Amino acid sequence: MMIIEKGRPLPESLANLPDALFEPVGAASAQDEAFKTEPVGFYRDAFNRLRKSRLSMISLYIIIAIILLALIVPEITGYSYTQQNVKAKNLPPKIPVLENLGICDGTQVLTNRKKSSLENPRRFPEGCVLEILNEYDVNGVTVVDVLVDAYAYSGVPDDEYHWFGTDYLGRDIMTRLFRGTRVSLLIAFISVLTNLIIGVIYGSIAGYYGGKVDMVMTHFAEVLDGLPYIVVTILFMILFGSGMFSIILALTVTGWIGTARLTRAQFYRFKGREYVLAARTLGTPDRKLIFRHILPNTIGPLITRSMIAIPGAIFSESFLAYIGLGIKPPEPSIGTLLSVGQDVLLQYPTQTLFPAVLISVLMIAFNLFSNGLRDALDPTRRGEDV
Amino acid sequence: MFKYLLGRIGAMLLTLFLVMTLSFWVIRLMPMSIFENPEVSPEIQAQLEAEMHLDKPMIVQYFYFIEGIVTRGDFGTSVKVRPGLDVFDILAIRIPPTVVLNVFSLLISLPLGIIVGVAAALQRNKATDNVLSFLIVICISVPSFVFASLLQYCLTYVWPIFPTLYDSQATTFGAQLYSMVLPIIALALNPIATIGRYLRGELIETLNSDYMLLARTKGLSRTQATIFHAFRNSLVPIANTIIPMITGIMGGSLVVEKMFAVPGMGGLLIDSILAGDHFLTVALLIFYSAISLVTILIVDISYGLIDPRIRVGGGK
Repeated sequence: MMIIEKGRPLPESLANLPDALFEPVGAASAQDEAFKTEPVGFYRDAFNRLRKSRLSMISLYIIIAIILLALIVPEITGYSYTQQNVKAKNLPPKIPVLENLGICDGTQVLTNRKKSSLENPRRFPEGCVLEILNEYDVNGVTVVDVLVDAYAYSGVPDDEYHWFGTDYLGRDIMTRLFRGTRVSLLIAFISVLTNLIIGVIYGSIAGYYGGKVDMVMTHFAEVLDGLPYIVVTILFMILFGSGMFSIILALTVTGWIGTARLTRAQFYRFKGREYVLAARTLGTPDRKLIFRHILPNTIGPLITRSMIAIPGAIFSESFLAYIGLGIKPPEPSIGTLLSVGQDVLLQYPTQTLFPAVLISVLMIAFNLFSNGLRDALDPTRRGEDV
Repeated sequence: MFKYLLGRIGAMLLTLFLVMTLSFWVIRLMPMSIFENPEVSPEIQAQLEAEMHLDKPMIVQYFYFIEGIVTRGDFGTSVKVRPGLDVFDILAIRIPPTVVLNVFSLLISLPLGIIVGVAAALQRNKATDNVLSFLIVICISVPSFVFASLLQYCLTYVWPIFPTLYDSQATTFGAQLYSMVLPIIALALNPIATIGRYLRGELIETLNSDYMLLARTKGLSRTQATIFHAFRNSLVPIANTIIPMITGIMGGSLVVEKMFAVPGMGGLLIDSILAGDHFLTVALLIFYSAISLVTILIVDISYGLIDPRIRVGGGK
């Protein structure tokens, strides 16, 4: 075996190699090298992309943390969400450790008190007055603003802590807030899930069968969609009365239409593809064609859409609470806490502050996470906004 | 165009009719008497019910209801919130503040949103863009009523710049508007952020196109080219965001009005729902639908003005 290149002789060492060094290649060793890496599926790939986005991961951790807090906190505060305490009304927040730093230390400024009343131990118990801030004269009466330890002032034992304060019935706001978060999240998740199921089934049927079925179904959805969302929601709340079930129902009445439209569009895109025709030729039943062959193409956009719908549902729940159609009273939700806090905003701002911060953080986290999720599931649309 | 307009108005009327029917049945099917006043003697109650046709079968009541609205514009009489007053008269007073609030929120959010979007796109990936994008995420996520609480606490109580509540005694329109500044801002933040976000995305995509290169080649600066060429092409996608935005503003205004005591439809709707004043609730829902439908129609028609290439209602 000599390999001879034109015009250039092989070097001496190679030209005289003995034939014994060479052997024919067998069929077994002629194969390609096997992949050393694991095959990466679509969802795995999407997950990897998601994990690289720092902002989405932080949002995800925040969401998980809030869910855990909502599950755990109401059980461990030592107060129940209905437990009232007439003495401990409208207390400011008081948190161990932080109280030593001068924030959330359970103090409160009382304005326009008669100076003489400070001496009265029945009005101002021993040791509750911390500092006299202003002193002025109104019609010959000395009036003062005083900084008081609100807990001592109300006669609450010194070792009692309400981290986020109490409301107008003396109920612990932290317990109620996280229990309310539980309720709000539950409403959001269930209503989004229901919308997803209805929308997918409706959209699949309309998209797959097409023709007259599609026309009737699409027109029905169009008409329903033409009704102002808020009007329909309010009407349903009036009809079914306040409560968790009716809120979910009200959010479902028109909520599924978007999902159905998306699913239908995806079905129109994919039902004519060759692989679907092939499956149909092989006698695959409709049910299997719909769920096994066409629907999986829709999953990515559907997940994104559902995630984006969650903050929307939380918003709608709070909105309903504000207009007096929220959840039934002793049970709290973020929305009802906000609307109750709003009534005393100027006197006790912390009653609005904590629910407002929580709902804001929750909504921002959900929005950022769903943006990241969309980028991960559909990299071609990265950076676009829904 | 004319035919299209006719079709759209027809569809709008149909929707309104549906709202009427739906609200009538939903509210009447409630197991609740319209008059629940123990002080009113049964005879007077019966007489009142007869006067309002409440003693007849449901279906007859329904026709009276539709007939009243269609032929006389008669929505009935308020029985609880403002007893004895004609619902239509109450609405005539209550609708203008709501419309002013909504229109102003929309009007200020368009230019501000455009400024935010253009600024963010021109400064892409620089500090300005990052700060703006961060603010945009916050403004999109946080509900308008949370902003309203924040503004109310900060700007009327801690730093008393604006009045806490709507000034119903104001004599001039300017003074009235001044007391509505905070609700308008609270409602406008979300639309500003929405427009800003869309415009930024659209502009960044357009900035890489060939005609932008041409514009730069003929000597325009980046800012000039963006404003005169890229911006115009981004207007159509933005117009698409305006309709959901209107719905959002109108929904938010129901709550924000109540918070700032603006004597608009929001507070009235809440009161009438809580009091169970059904004639009033139905009328409010109908008017609310009518206002949002008309606004959406106007926006739809204006597409043709924004981009002459879009022929509204054109055939194939």
